[in-house]
Amino acid sequence: MSLPALPLPREWELPFDPPGPAGSRLVRVACPTGLSAWLVSDYAGVREVLGDGRRFSARPGQASHMLTAFDPDSEPEGFTRLDGPEHVRIRRNFAPQVSHARRLTELKPLIEEITDRAITRMLASPEPFALHSAFSTAVTTEVIAELIGVPAAQHHLLRDAAQAIFTTTTTADELRAALEPLFVYLYQAVASRRAEPGDDILSRMILLSASNERPLTDAELVDMNAALLIAGFDTTASMITYGLVALLNTPGEWDRLVADPGLAVPATEELVRYLGVGTGLLRRATEDTTIGGQAILAGDYVVVSVQSGNRDAALYPDAEVLNIARKPGSHIGFGHGAHACVGQQVARMELNTVLAALATRVPTLRIAVPVGDIEWKRDTVVRGPVELPVAWS
Amino acid sequence: MRVTVDRDRCIGAGNCALIAPAVFDQEPDDAVVVLLDETPPEDSRPAVQEAVDRCPAAVIVLAAG
Repeated sequence: MSLPALPLPREWELPFDPPGPAGSRLVRVACPTGLSAWLVSDYAGVREVLGDGRRFSARPGQASHMLTAFDPDSEPEGFTRLDGPEHVRIRRNFAPQVSHARRLTELKPLIEEITDRAITRMLASPEPFALHSAFSTAVTTEVIAELIGVPAAQHHLLRDAAQAIFTTTTTADELRAALEPLFVYLYQAVASRRAEPGDDILSRMILLSASNERPLTDAELVDMNAALLIAGFDTTASMITYGLVALLNTPGEWDRLVADPGLAVPATEELVRYLGVGTGLLRRATEDTTIGGQAILAGDYVVVSVQSGNRDAALYPDAEVLNIARKPGSHIGFGHGAHACVGQQVARMELNTVLAALATRVPTLRIAVPVGDIEWKRDTVVRGPVELPVAWS
Repeated sequence: MRVTVDRDRCIGAGNCALIAPAVFDQEPDDAVVVLLDETPPEDSRPAVQEAVDRCPAAVIVLAAG
């Protein structure tokens, strides 16, 4: 008997719905890449799996249940597939650059300036305006490229790499070919920053790790910075655009933000909770164990549905409702556990800066087409509209 | 209330230092949590509890006493 397919979001039918309900009973599903896995969809279960890297390994890769190019049995390349102390060692080289409270205070003015320039360009443009490409992606690309010191002439390298890596149908050969130009560029950048450090993240990583017991290798530096560049703009841009569709389409929510742009901070948490990680994350059991009473055997794959878990009534009794003034709780929209999103603090800052600035400077913002006419990305793990035509006058 | 942290497993995500800066700081070199106050005043309990709940690596423990 064949297994039911892993439920996936269907934004073109139900724009904001999770792939399925949060249920405490585990089911066996067939994933798009052919893997069979246990599907965990309730908040407690998702948190338990992601929070226990000892029982549930990240070695197969975070999205190898969706992405054709990734082989869950291959030797891990890169920190996102490491477990335990090896992974923590790498994470601690990221953290001072992107998740240290004092460092974030330094980044705020840069993000505000890039956002303000983008809004000024937007307001000088004809309507309807292509918000996703000309605003959301422009802002998030400029932020991460500026932080790592990638000049505008090279921005296409991260765009091409992200397009290839997040597309479910990309083959392993196609992915290698798409990543190569970015990797070649980053190896050159590592060499030049080692010789002549600047104030960018790559230079700071080199300088800080030099005093470590095991300084970062060139390959590790390239892996880490490629991850920041690739994951750092497309996910955040998609959340800005997708989040704005939800805000503008839910009666009263945009008006609340316009009336009080300070709500951008809780609104950011709420949008990430409501819309994040619809295609789920993959883990593999390291030992015979149980989740929610279900026996899991060592070697079994487990897919956790983050978005369904975030809509669980166990998290909020009215978890199905989008409420931007909700007191932020412990949602899992940035994941949970040791592999929780590396860039989550920068992403938060970009999202709340953009939301507050748009609500202040473009209070009459509206979607310029019926929501039913929005074209949605399909063969990807980074969900949201392909494009969003907007108007304001 | 008594707070303890497991620095060996900390990933430096920064949530605790952003939520309860009077209780948690971070090392400059690796952003690992620094516990500023092991027995914070009772009025900081909501913030400390939020830091516990939102620590992705679950390295903060809050005990009575």
